[in-house]
Amino acid sequence: MTDGRSQTLLLKNLHRSDSATLEAYLQGGGYRALPRALKEMTPEQVVEEVKASGLRGRGGAGFPTGMKWGFMPKGPGPKYLVLNADESEPGTFKDRLLLERDPHLVLEGFLIGCYAVGCHHGFIYIRGEFVRPYQILLQAVQEARAAGYVGKNLLGSGYDLEITIYRGAGAYICGEETALLESLEGKLGHPRLKPPFPAQVGLYGKPTSVNNVETIANVPMIVEMGANWYGNIGRPKNTGPKLFCLSGHVRKPGVYELPLGIPLRELIYQHAGGMLREDRPLKAVVPGGSSVPVLRADQIDVLMDFDSLAAAGTLLGSAGVIVMDDSVCMVDALLNLARFYAHESCGQCTPCREGTGWYVQILERLERGEGKKSDLDLLLDLSDRIQGNTICPLGDAVAMPVRSYVTQFREEFEEHVAAKGCPLAAAAAPGRA
Amino acid sequence: MAEEMQQPAQVTLTIDGKSVTVSPEMNLIQAAAKAGIEIPSFCFHHRLSVAGNCRICLVEIEKMPKNQIACSTRVAPGMVVKTRSEKAVKGRQGVMEFLLINHPLDCPICDKAGECILQSHSFHYGTGQSRFEGEKVHGEKQVDLGPHIVFDAERCIKCTRCIRFCDEVTHTHELGFFNRGDHSIIGTFPGRRLDNAYSGCTSDICPVGALTVKEFRFKQRVWFLKNTASICSGCARGCNVHLGINQDRIWRIMPRESEAVNKSWICDEGRLSYERYQLSERLGGARSGPMIGTAAGTARPLMPQAAWEEAAATLGEVARKHGGASIAAITSGHATVEEQAALSELMRTLGGTRTALPVHERGEDDDLLVRKDKTMNSRGALLIGGVNARLDEVVAAVSKGEVRALIVLREDPIGEGGEEAAAALGTLDLLLTLDWRVTPTVKASDLALPVCAYGEMDGSAVNFEGRIQLLRPGLLPHGESDPAWRPLYEMVARLGGEPAPRTFREAFRRSASRPGPLSGLDTPAVGTAGLDLAHAKEP
Repeated sequence: MTDGRSQTLLLKNLHRSDSATLEAYLQGGGYRALPRALKEMTPEQVVEEVKASGLRGRGGAGFPTGMKWGFMPKGPGPKYLVLNADESEPGTFKDRLLLERDPHLVLEGFLIGCYAVGCHHGFIYIRGEFVRPYQILLQAVQEARAAGYVGKNLLGSGYDLEITIYRGAGAYICGEETALLESLEGKLGHPRLKPPFPAQVGLYGKPTSVNNVETIANVPMIVEMGANWYGNIGRPKNTGPKLFCLSGHVRKPGVYELPLGIPLRELIYQHAGGMLREDRPLKAVVPGGSSVPVLRADQIDVLMDFDSLAAAGTLLGSAGVIVMDDSVCMVDALLNLARFYAHESCGQCTPCREGTGWYVQILERLERGEGKKSDLDLLLDLSDRIQGNTICPLGDAVAMPVRSYVTQFREEFEEHVAAKGCPLAAAAAPGRA
Repeated sequence: MAEEMQQPAQVTLTIDGKSVTVSPEMNLIQAAAKAGIEIPSFCFHHRLSVAGNCRICLVEIEKMPKNQIACSTRVAPGMVVKTRSEKAVKGRQGVMEFLLINHPLDCPICDKAGECILQSHSFHYGTGQSRFEGEKVHGEKQVDLGPHIVFDAERCIKCTRCIRFCDEVTHTHELGFFNRGDHSIIGTFPGRRLDNAYSGCTSDICPVGALTVKEFRFKQRVWFLKNTASICSGCARGCNVHLGINQDRIWRIMPRESEAVNKSWICDEGRLSYERYQLSERLGGARSGPMIGTAAGTARPLMPQAAWEEAAATLGEVARKHGGASIAAITSGHATVEEQAALSELMRTLGGTRTALPVHERGEDDDLLVRKDKTMNSRGALLIGGVNARLDEVVAAVSKGEVRALIVLREDPIGEGGEEAAAALGTLDLLLTLDWRVTPTVKASDLALPVCAYGEMDGSAVNFEGRIQLLRPGLLPHGESDPAWRPLYEMVARLGGEPAPRTFREAFRRSASRPGPLSGLDTPAVGTAGLDLAHAKEP
């Protein structure tokens, strides 16, 4: 999963077949950060350390974690930390790996996070389809509780912490933090209006911070090794190790741990072993999960970090790197994606509810050969009407890829109109009408 | 008191170049309205929580990169809002177009057409064109949600006003949001029906024709209805309503906004209360006036003036022969203040000593609007109607022969009191009834005078909280019917009192001419919003 040049930090225990056990985690040096945080640091010092580390959220938005925690009000009253384990962004499978293979790393980070924000009841919201990760995590929590890491008076520190694991019911939108909170409260997973932000009004109306699994897994090493050490990994303002999920037409798909800022070309051609078939050259790369703008093959000389990808007109997102060779029809790929978003749109607000289905109809007729040239501009215009006008980012998450596919591969879309069908499908099946 | 006098700090902001100063609690829709600028909305309702889902109220705010929704944005000092900038218009037109792609556009057969917010906003804020060429998402056209409400899933724009109404106003939680994306649908939870006491309000607040009231469905084109601002006669709350009238008939009753009385709501019973006024048989048909001798089966119509003459003469005679104590009256909470006052004045003129107010109570008061007192004006009767006896006391006095003449205003003591009452009232020298129905009491009367039904006359009523409000007419009086104050004051005049008032306003002023809670009042002070009568709450 990693090459010899890189030190693994997040995945360091994965070489053991029993990596999910407490024993393996302890032998790998686990649960050293938690006692340090509880006994040697105040919650404020933990927050400051995480701030200083430069850790940015790994769920997609890249928001500085320490700053997020800093938004939580001080003082008494219930506050919650919620772990977002609802990983469902297409092309993304890093959190699942952590949950299945090193649940104690996730747990230790979460326990420290709870301590940092003053939370005495932490919630883990795990994707419903993650049956196995759920069982493993449950086992880990039980082990941790038996060892005194969860419950009353943690490690004799006087700090009490309960943990509840809650399983989702299969909606992509519940990975959006406010929809997640609604779902966690037992309601329909509809994103909330912001403001107020969860740090003011979150779970059960109380101040809440929601963190991604991979983000939280970075916390123990920051506490143990210090912000300075951590800040030297990666690039300025884009610090730390990162899990990249390689999928699609590469020889070695999988999760790769590399410092933020690794060149995309290197990621594909060295770490992931290059293109699957030598006769099928690279055509397109989605660098950060299905929601981000696509890159053409000539645009892959870019560094894989938040700021570099933003400068290149796309996003690091969840670091789900989807590699497509020239067998892929971009209209068909976009149609597939649009269908996903139309299916997963929560239906609450108008532009996303209505626009996603409209995208699908347009793309279906383009792929069928019934499209018109004006459909291309219509797709672009719909993106303008959706993006920025919805309650939550799901609207943007479909508008951005649609705009980028049509813009980056406009010729191919025009070919579909001119040829009255998909040229690639025709080439693949010459006998077909 | 000090708190009341403290003015909250006002906020000044700019909307479309206009400076507007408003209360800091206002959102941008409300602030813009104050500046005379409409920001369109579907999901926003001033009585419900903000959902922010329809997105039609998108506006551009300086220093904010994205369009913002006006409904969930509170005013802030110095805020610069643009409702007509290119960005705002593009977002808004997009929303308008999106809303229509899966809407059936079946306006020709839609009950909401003409008062549909979707139509209206489409007219004002749409482009008039759609680029959508695909297949619409189809849905059920007639979902039976409850006893009064039918749901059309295709017309629904998922604004969730109805859901929020059932969650936040009635607290009955029948409705939910189901499925996702463009297959989202409103519905009742499994095993539930939309059958709360206020279910019709979901149709009122539905911005489209998705929720319609069964009793009104397909009955009328709303643009033919003339709306009369009146109050509901169904209970002592006196909810402010609009009577939807066409071709001399009330087709529906809808709530009229009233901060003091009923907010934006009415109960289903009040909504459908017009049905009770649509009787096939009315006292005083088109060609007939007051009826005399209805008991003997020798009923003959009379000219109104002749009836007033005869009634006054007979009452005067009974009073002369047997003394004032032989005259009794049954006044009514169904009558207007002017009618109650006229009856009271007639009783004073005759020296009558007993006036009763029958109680019409059913069920219990609820915590929203419904009152168990099913009359609109019993408080008025208690304030100015001269009520001094119980109904059973009056009936007993009739049985004992102490009472020889009884005046019954809009009540049916025989119909409600049965044989005992019939036997007692059969011994009277004169049973004079003023009603619009042909009740058992009317049938037993020596003289029955037709009066206007609800919706046929001006009037005032005092609700249980002591608020006086106006009833307005939208229907023509049936046949020779009059407001009951007219014949009653005509009798007063014929018995030596002042001349009868000629107009409602004169009658109102006459009610207010005596010392008491109405003293000195005039109709303009009451207005369409009503007026709280100080100290009239507990007479």
